[in-house]
Amino acid sequence: MRKMLLAALSRVLQGPAAAGRTGAVSEASRVMVASRNYGDFASEASFEIKKCDLHRLEEGPSTTAVMTREEGLHYYKTMQTIRRMELKSDQLYKQKIIRGFCHLYDGQEACCVGIEAAIKPTDHVITAYRAHGFTFTRGVPVREILAELTGRKGGCAKGKGGSMHMYTKNFYGGNGIVGAQVPLGAGIALACKYFGKNEVCLALYGDGAANQGQIFETYNMAALWKLPCIFICENNRYGMGTSVERAAASTDYYKRGYFIPGLRVDGMDVLCVREAVKFAADYCRAGKGPLVMELQTYRYHGHSMSDPGISYRTREEIQEVRSKSDPITLLKDRMVNNNLASVEELKEIDVAVRKEIEEAAQFATTDPEPPLEELGHHIYFNEPPFEVRGPNQWIKYKSVS
Amino acid sequence: MNLFQSITSALDNALAKDPTAVVFGEDVAFGGVFRCTVGLRDKYGKDRVFNTPLCEQGIVGFGIGIAVAGATAIAEIQFADYIFPAFDQIVNEAAKYRYRSGDLFNCGNLTIRAPWGCVGHGALYHSQSPEAFFAHCPGIKVVIPRSPLQAKGLLLSCIEDKNPCIFFEPKILYRAAVEQVPVEPYNIPLSQAEVLQTGSDVTMVAWGTQVHVIKEVAAMAQEKLGVSCEVIDLRTILPWDTETICKEECFLNLEAPISRVCGYDTPFPHIFEPFYIPDKWKCYDALQKMINY
Repeated sequence: MRKMLLAALSRVLQGPAAAGRTGAVSEASRVMVASRNYGDFASEASFEIKKCDLHRLEEGPSTTAVMTREEGLHYYKTMQTIRRMELKSDQLYKQKIIRGFCHLYDGQEACCVGIEAAIKPTDHVITAYRAHGFTFTRGVPVREILAELTGRKGGCAKGKGGSMHMYTKNFYGGNGIVGAQVPLGAGIALACKYFGKNEVCLALYGDGAANQGQIFETYNMAALWKLPCIFICENNRYGMGTSVERAAASTDYYKRGYFIPGLRVDGMDVLCVREAVKFAADYCRAGKGPLVMELQTYRYHGHSMSDPGISYRTREEIQEVRSKSDPITLLKDRMVNNNLASVEELKEIDVAVRKEIEEAAQFATTDPEPPLEELGHHIYFNEPPFEVRGPNQWIKYKSVS
Repeated sequence: MNLFQSITSALDNALAKDPTAVVFGEDVAFGGVFRCTVGLRDKYGKDRVFNTPLCEQGIVGFGIGIAVAGATAIAEIQFADYIFPAFDQIVNEAAKYRYRSGDLFNCGNLTIRAPWGCVGHGALYHSQSPEAFFAHCPGIKVVIPRSPLQAKGLLLSCIEDKNPCIFFEPKILYRAAVEQVPVEPYNIPLSQAEVLQTGSDVTMVAWGTQVHVIKEVAAMAQEKLGVSCEVIDLRTILPWDTETICKEECFLNLEAPISRVCGYDTPFPHIFEPFYIPDKWKCYDALQKMINY
């Protein structure tokens, strides 16, 4: 009863002011909602999730997931932040404030958020170039991500890496060469095993990279030495412009590890991803060896900003995914329908996220570029400063490590 | 024609003349990411122009196989920066095939094409110029054209050459460079440098995009310093034309040490790119210092 009254009141407030003073309206409705008792909501709810296809596994992850209200709000905020950050990057790129390459992650948010929800900060993640989402979930603030994209010194790689080369603690990037990060992931897993700290490594790659030779070399090493490595193929159905059917003799990417057990997971459902990764992490921590996971997901943008994304797929297809399987909408519906949050509350989060992204974009546009002296820095480690040969023998830069 | 159109024309001629020729690589079927193979699949069929999956080592290895079996293989690596997974195949297999089999077998029918060089926004992995890595490998030829007219002739020579060849195409020139190019096939000999401008004071040697830079520098030097420059396009990096280059300079006759002008000894940067590339001012600066040595 009280809920309906409040909802009616906030609608009334928004009505006459719809003409322009949106600031005042949201302020007012915020005040209204804030006075609401959050005890009205459930503290958690249980959801049925899709069963995973299994390869060489007797049992798979649980088909029921429990999500608390806090978790739901956190996942929602994180996914919405990534979504808005990617859309902002799109905008900045079109304004030529971001240059170079930019591979956007919108549509795939459930993957990185679900993964982060299932692992610990001490676990390790390495992925390819579509990395902005992971950079955020692994702890880099939005302003540092956007500043890195615009090539400023406030960026997480000091402006020297750009879109494809973002790093932070226990997140090894951000790698440009397709497939090259997977053997690295196995190496990290070996170090995890060697140090005995019960950590695992998640090595991600795409459906295009799945056809690279070095991935199979890595499968062999990981299985042979029982490395705690989870190979995750983010199958978004297209390797740049080539659909999976035209590139792969077998599109069952979760079976490609052959002797390595695998699971295929609905990558648009954050809870599905979370449960699957939890299962995989437990499996690896128990010392049973590596696992291959395929996340079936979708990207709304083209491969990169120079790809409109509609020459190899139809707009109808993109629309269909957006309307039926959008990860953020899926989560929102679940939360609202199970009384974990209200529509207004989630809208509040949207507003707060938008503001944060605006401020971050402001920082990214105004922060100065790294000084030219840094051109030669960080080539080697801990060498006394030496001179780097420049374009001709009279131009030199100092390299400081 | 611009550069990518001249490449298409060369490939068209090659596929028409040689019934065993095949063109393959990532995304070549629809025309290629730089449109170098537009229209070829429709004209010659899908068993002669086809896509490969994302596997450079596989592409080159596969190309070597085709060439050894007697067909003409024209492989595309999508960016020269991605050629490194195939480095082993090129250096250890392709280059050494004839030598190690005592001339019983060879993969001379193989030509590898790749977009090459800086483009203004490529950063670390879409801007590299890896010809130096291949320049010390006996058994292969490395060729870099400076313009559409040169490109078509040199590419056709590479395809017909009985040695495995790597042909790097300056990607920044794909659309930017436009010339009158004959539609019929023609060849430009390999391992021959071209003297574009004679001069008596300084010799400048370059290849690919940089040739245009030094031409500008030569003009600047003539105008501002009254220095007469000789401009040479090396064209074939390996085996290079020692005669032409060394004809004009004998080490004992040099009045100043030889100056190399190139990128910095750092990975190709993202934000620092404008400072990294050896533009005309840096070349001019080097030239001035040499003159005043």
